[in-house]
Amino acid sequence: MPLLGSAIAGAAIITPVLIVIWRSFTTGRLGFNVGLNIANYARVFGDKDIISMLGNSVVYAGGSALLGTGVGAMLAWIVARTNTPGKTLVELLPLYPILMPPIMKNIAWILLLAPRSGILNGMMQQFFGIETPIFNAFSMTGMIWVFGLACVPLGYLFLLPVFLSFDPSLEESAYIAGSKPVNTMLKITFPLALPAFLSAFVLNFLRGLRSFETPVLQGTPANIKVFVSRVYDSMALEFNTGLATAYSVVLVALSVITLYFYVRATRFSERYATITGKGYRVKVIDIGPWKYLTFFMVFIYFLAGIAIPFIVLIVVSMIPYFDYDTFMKFPTNAVLTNYYTVMRHPSFVTGFYNSLILSVTIALVTVMAGIVMAFTIYRTRASGTRIFEFIGTLPLAFPPLVLSVGLVIIFLGTPLYNSLWALGIGLFVAYFPYAFRNASGSIVNIHKELDEAAWVHGARWRHVFFKITLPILKPSVGGALFYIFIEAIRNVDVAVLLTAPGKEYGPVTLFEYFRVGQWAEAAAGGVVYLIVLIAAVSVAKFAFKMKFSL
Amino acid sequence: MSILNVAGVSKFYKDVKALDNVSFEFNKGIISFLGPSGCGKTTLLRSIAGLEIPDSGSISIADKVQTSIADGILVPPYSREIGFVFQNYALWPHMTVFNNVAFGLKLRKKPNDEIKRKVISALELVGLQGREERFPSQLSGGQQQRVALARSLALEPRLILLDEPLSNLDAKLREEMRVELKKLIRQVGISALYVTHDQEEAFTISDAVVVMEGGKILQYGAPDEIYNRPAHPFVASFVGHSTLVDGRIVRVEGENCLVNVPDFNGANLISLAPQSAAAGVACKVVIRTTEVKLSHDGFPDGADNVLEGMMTSREYRGGLTDHRIQIGSKELVVTSHKFCPMIRVNGDGGKTFVSIDRAAISVILAQ
Repeated sequence: MPLLGSAIAGAAIITPVLIVIWRSFTTGRLGFNVGLNIANYARVFGDKDIISMLGNSVVYAGGSALLGTGVGAMLAWIVARTNTPGKTLVELLPLYPILMPPIMKNIAWILLLAPRSGILNGMMQQFFGIETPIFNAFSMTGMIWVFGLACVPLGYLFLLPVFLSFDPSLEESAYIAGSKPVNTMLKITFPLALPAFLSAFVLNFLRGLRSFETPVLQGTPANIKVFVSRVYDSMALEFNTGLATAYSVVLVALSVITLYFYVRATRFSERYATITGKGYRVKVIDIGPWKYLTFFMVFIYFLAGIAIPFIVLIVVSMIPYFDYDTFMKFPTNAVLTNYYTVMRHPSFVTGFYNSLILSVTIALVTVMAGIVMAFTIYRTRASGTRIFEFIGTLPLAFPPLVLSVGLVIIFLGTPLYNSLWALGIGLFVAYFPYAFRNASGSIVNIHKELDEAAWVHGARWRHVFFKITLPILKPSVGGALFYIFIEAIRNVDVAVLLTAPGKEYGPVTLFEYFRVGQWAEAAAGGVVYLIVLIAAVSVAKFAFKMKFSL
Repeated sequence: MSILNVAGVSKFYKDVKALDNVSFEFNKGIISFLGPSGCGKTTLLRSIAGLEIPDSGSISIADKVQTSIADGILVPPYSREIGFVFQNYALWPHMTVFNNVAFGLKLRKKPNDEIKRKVISALELVGLQGREERFPSQLSGGQQQRVALARSLALEPRLILLDEPLSNLDAKLREEMRVELKKLIRQVGISALYVTHDQEEAFTISDAVVVMEGGKILQYGAPDEIYNRPAHPFVASFVGHSTLVDGRIVRVEGENCLVNVPDFNGANLISLAPQSAAAGVACKVVIRTTEVKLSHDGFPDGADNVLEGMMTSREYRGGLTDHRIQIGSKELVVTSHKFCPMIRVNGDGGKTFVSIDRAAISVILAQ
């Protein structure tokens, strides 16, 4: 039984992957077999923009990862090792920005930084008389700024435990050897944190390669092309599946190379293993008056990461239409018409409803399937189950947009096309690795003797699964459910190619509003989403006493 | 009837032979499997429970075949009706003590009042009444150990398997628990198979001891037989404290034999002759450290095996003292109690005489 469940989940995952690869080697319309060829690749590599596209992808992903991981590492060091005032607040401030869906951040920062209508440029003109716009959201710098800010929490979460569980004797022996505090920090502390930094950097780089919203919303208007936006264009505008899949395969190759480096970096950091599980008392450094500066730095990130975008969204959602002068008149011109419009918009209402229902369902199904697969691999005697380990992790190498390209090709011409099923399967495949890896990690940590004790006392696999494994997994199941729910309800890149009129998906609807210039409505819809997310977090936190560590 | 019959069981892990054609039979009581870690004793135990599938051989419990590779019989662990106490106790952390013990009874669909009665009486048996609603994490190590035992006893199995059940307890508690465990198993009247690497534990607790090494059974016998008549040099060195030297039988005289030991300056030692001893056969000489006499002045005529050596060091162990005496090219360890005259002699060095009683020597013929 567990084997059958895993086989079904495995098939759902492997099919779109194989389709993308197969499709990239054929031209002609779907349904007509013209044999395998490399015409698509010829076109991809013949594209005169390929070099600049590759350059853009690397600069964008690398720049964002460097900015995000760097700031995150700095915040982690401030929180863990300095006597910055307001510890409990300072610890949490860098995490709040996770709450805001990426598309909301893009919208907010475009409103702030757009070259002509942007609020900040308007202020520059009004207060300093600077006519030429200084800020430009539609530029590489703008893209790196917005996505880099989104990379900070991951850098922070990776480095905080390193700085917190640092064996103080490593630094103390440097002091005894005659090294002064600053020198010790540079020569001992930071080098020991380097492996974790590299891991976070490479993971953020991978996220940059896969990211969809920023390149499409901020890059495309400035004609800055990266692979993801090129895949999207050839799918959504030209509907050339062969070309889209060929670009996809190149993108996948880049992802696989990055993943390889990620694995290397992780192994490297295990070798450094400063975290021994022993509870050290972390030595906090007294940095004197500088502590007010460090507090200010943490607060600045909180402002840029969530407070300012959030305020901008709320204000824009409550003004009749968006331009600089109307914006500055707030709150005298506050109206709720945008909310009224958005809530009466069938595409928003169905999209909102669908995203709620699907996120809940997908979270449940994915987490359950992940546990079943992990159980099959690690806890049953069925042979050959190791293949599932590979399949279960495979979607990580595939940017979500590429997966949905594969699913579009599969479903085209079937009744599933343009149905919520297609969307659901897409989300399932995209989030399966998280559920699977979470379940594997937890199941491996459950001592095998607990299962064996059940067996010898008369339990069969279903008893073991339902009475031992599931109850023990409960805490981590809760976390995974919540994580996948949060990710799914704000998903754009899987859903964007799989929605259809009447089968909208909330975040995609907002994305479309924004693309056609209904900025105020997009902001209003975004605020509605934020309220739902904050409510979900609060419910999870207080009702289930859930602890968050992403 | 035999409670357990193991015939020709072998098991490989890749190239490592964990069990090498193991066969034995066991009727009643407590049997211990003794050996160093990696000797295959745990693999054997797990094969008996059905948690491991051997590559060949057969296993019967109470004359019912449970595993037979040749006949393709493999009764799953949940149908073997045995008890199993794991090294790390394996208590389910999400269940109370009561539910841990009741688990197997519930699966067997027993009526509620019977479950309750049996759980309570199993917990009483191990002295944990009143702790039913605790969770395992709220118990001490020794108490967790008792819950694990109660969980197996509640099912009233005929055979209970114990995998180093005391190894996670501290030394003092371990000594208490092993006496208690023995009493308890006797009281319930079931048979038990006990795996341990601690020879003292094996000797205290069991009616019979099986010494294993490298996946093979080296000797199977009563504790005193294993101690006094080791059948294999490894058994001699693993159980009890002894010094091993190479020798060769010079001649056999009635029930005694004379063994030449080149390491002891070519001295000839008299000892009890092992079966099928013959002149010229190479052998191992095992000298038990506690059964050797020491003296500065020599021994009266007629004392067994008097040798002369130099004491090189002496280690006080509290109550007992180890003396290291260099005889020829070999160091002989002699353990004495505090009444030994040598204790009062100051310093480590000096000429020393030893007398090795012929009964303190075991001669093991080379295979």
